[in-house]
Amino acid sequence: MPKIETSCFTVIYIPFYFLQCAHQKRLLQRVENAYASSRQLSLDVTVEDHYSDSFSSSVFAKTCTDIPAALLDDDGIHVIELNLAAEEAGIQPGASTSQAIARAPELVLYTRALTHERQLQDVLLQLAYSYSPFIENSAPGVCTIDITKTRNQQNGLRKLLAQLRAVGLKAQAGIGPNPEIALQAAKIADPVLEISHDCNLLQSLPLESLDPSPFLLDILKSWGVRTLGALTRLPRDEIGQRLGLEGLSLWDRAGGRSTKVLQFVQPSETFEESIDFEQRLETLEPLLFILRRFLERLSLRIESVYLLIAELHLVLILENGEKIVRSLQIPAPTRDVEVLYGTAVQYLETLHTTAPVTSFHLEIKPSKPDGHQFDLFQGKLRDPNRFFQTLARLAALVGTEGVGIPQQINTHRPDSLRIQTPEFDWSWHSVKNTSRPKIGPGLRRYRPGIIASVELDKDKPVSVQSDLISGKILEARGPWNLSGNWWDRARWEIREWDVVLEDGGIYRLAQGLSQWEVVGVYD
Amino acid sequence: MPGSPKIIQLRKFLAERFPQQKATHLLAPTGWSPLDSLLGGGLPKGSITQLIIPHISAGGAIVLHEIIEAMHQHSQCVALIDGKNSFESSTDYPLLLWIRCQNVAQALKATDLLLRDSNLPLSILDFKQNSDTELRKIPGTTWYRFQRIIEENRSTLLTITRHPLVSSAQISISLTHQLRFDDLASFRPEIIKLFSLEIVRRRFELEYRYA
Repeated sequence: MPKIETSCFTVIYIPFYFLQCAHQKRLLQRVENAYASSRQLSLDVTVEDHYSDSFSSSVFAKTCTDIPAALLDDDGIHVIELNLAAEEAGIQPGASTSQAIARAPELVLYTRALTHERQLQDVLLQLAYSYSPFIENSAPGVCTIDITKTRNQQNGLRKLLAQLRAVGLKAQAGIGPNPEIALQAAKIADPVLEISHDCNLLQSLPLESLDPSPFLLDILKSWGVRTLGALTRLPRDEIGQRLGLEGLSLWDRAGGRSTKVLQFVQPSETFEESIDFEQRLETLEPLLFILRRFLERLSLRIESVYLLIAELHLVLILENGEKIVRSLQIPAPTRDVEVLYGTAVQYLETLHTTAPVTSFHLEIKPSKPDGHQFDLFQGKLRDPNRFFQTLARLAALVGTEGVGIPQQINTHRPDSLRIQTPEFDWSWHSVKNTSRPKIGPGLRRYRPGIIASVELDKDKPVSVQSDLISGKILEARGPWNLSGNWWDRARWEIREWDVVLEDGGIYRLAQGLSQWEVVGVYD
Repeated sequence: MPGSPKIIQLRKFLAERFPQQKATHLLAPTGWSPLDSLLGGGLPKGSITQLIIPHISAGGAIVLHEIIEAMHQHSQCVALIDGKNSFESSTDYPLLLWIRCQNVAQALKATDLLLRDSNLPLSILDFKQNSDTELRKIPGTTWYRFQRIIEENRSTLLTITRHPLVSSAQISISLTHQLRFDDLASFRPEIIKLFSLEIVRRRFELEYRYA
């Protein structure tokens, strides 16, 4: 007889979602303010130490549970979300700011952080997707997952909640035979709760947990019905006759009999974080702190989808409206926050802005882990990312044309070469063994050539005068005539001589169109 | 972790039986046989080797090219910190990282960055074309700083100068040769045969560490 699978769902529920998002934004801004005040007072305050650990845990826990906190609407007039402490203080949703403060003078007020809400919802979906591909974006801060075919449910859920905690979101998870029961379980979970149809816990929940319309709630309360169990004890048909379809739906939901079909979604494949600063940033430190925080969060998200970070896309918006956009390639894609941070810091440290920064946006481009076949006998770079950071520093020191791999250009013109920047797989380049005979010593070239005055006797140089070398020429060979580009304006023509001076040095002289130069010494 | 008594006995036996064998893991072969055979296998890892070439036209560029080519033959990357931007590349060197410095200060900064990076097994610092006036201004502590860095990351630095300069070099080699005008048309192996490479100074590890 075939085994019948029973459906099983879980809901990841983030209590006070809007409040948590607003709180996250407030914490980032608090760092920014702390840096600003520490600068003004010239105190050596290590802000990172104060905020790094407490960022998502203790400060949040204290603010969102012990201290009354309320979220205001877009106009900043009415309260739209409250934490438990604020509710206990007697504040009702919809109360005005002054009414709320009158009830709880220590009330912490937040405004909505729309960008954070959107980004954190993306985080929730991306992390949930790593747990199961069957996910529904049910509501802000709520994600329903079909886990019928998922094994080891509770351990996986606890790991997921820990990941959410790491990005600063305190979440709960409920498991049930249908999405409605799972949602109700999630709302009262600590942090994971599994309940079934006939669980007394579900029966004892208040009617408000199903968010009925105020009109329907008033009627039911006037009948003395206050819990889900009390509602389901009433006959379903009678409820339908008196309260209509809405009443029937509420009865089904209260009895755990809702037949909701999940609308599966694919999480967004964009990985970005952004912040608008309340106080304009004039120094690098607060920006670096926020950069690290963003990278930690993005790295966690990218890890959940088993990808690596191949590019950092930074956008800084300045107070004067100027927008600085920079993409930083990561030579060896990685999730290592230190490497990514080092790459970004290297750029930001050299950046000079014309005005203070008002907004910062960071987006990452993911990449699949690359496979490399390592050759036993080839020298490899130990740390490619570090090497390319060093290359950037060298380029800053000597210029981009001053560091790289020399490559010959297909011309007879002396000293014609280009400098190529090493690629990521530079060190794996295979070298062909050329058997071309090597003749004569090498030349050490003076760049630019040293202007000289050369005395000729029967068209042969006999003495040379220059800033570098002077004296009688003991022996000379030449001229070696070279010319090219005669078909265009870049025409060039050089006559070269090899000469030996009294000091024993063998030099190369070149006679151009207008002057003589000492171009190098044989060594 | 100390080895077992049998391993220790075996090492002792082998050391007594083959005294000429050196600890090759402490050496970084350049692949250029005249230099490697002189040094017993290669440049010492984790230390600075100084090549002194007093004459103007002595074959220093040949040595440079030979080492770079030999490293290429062994598919090893090499960095050349060119103190006066004078290197003339006669062919493509795909594994050569060439840093074209304009003066000594730039070259020292570039060397510092490369040594700290520790990705490349061999770095060559070429000061042959820099003036003595410039080179005399280098503080002696610079070389000891480089030595400390190299000791930690076990990379290798070869310096090329006209006069003894690197106080912390473990080995100083001298190339005393004077190119002849006819050498311009000679095959390079024939020129190299006439080179006289000689170790002029070798310091023991403790000596250069606490000098």
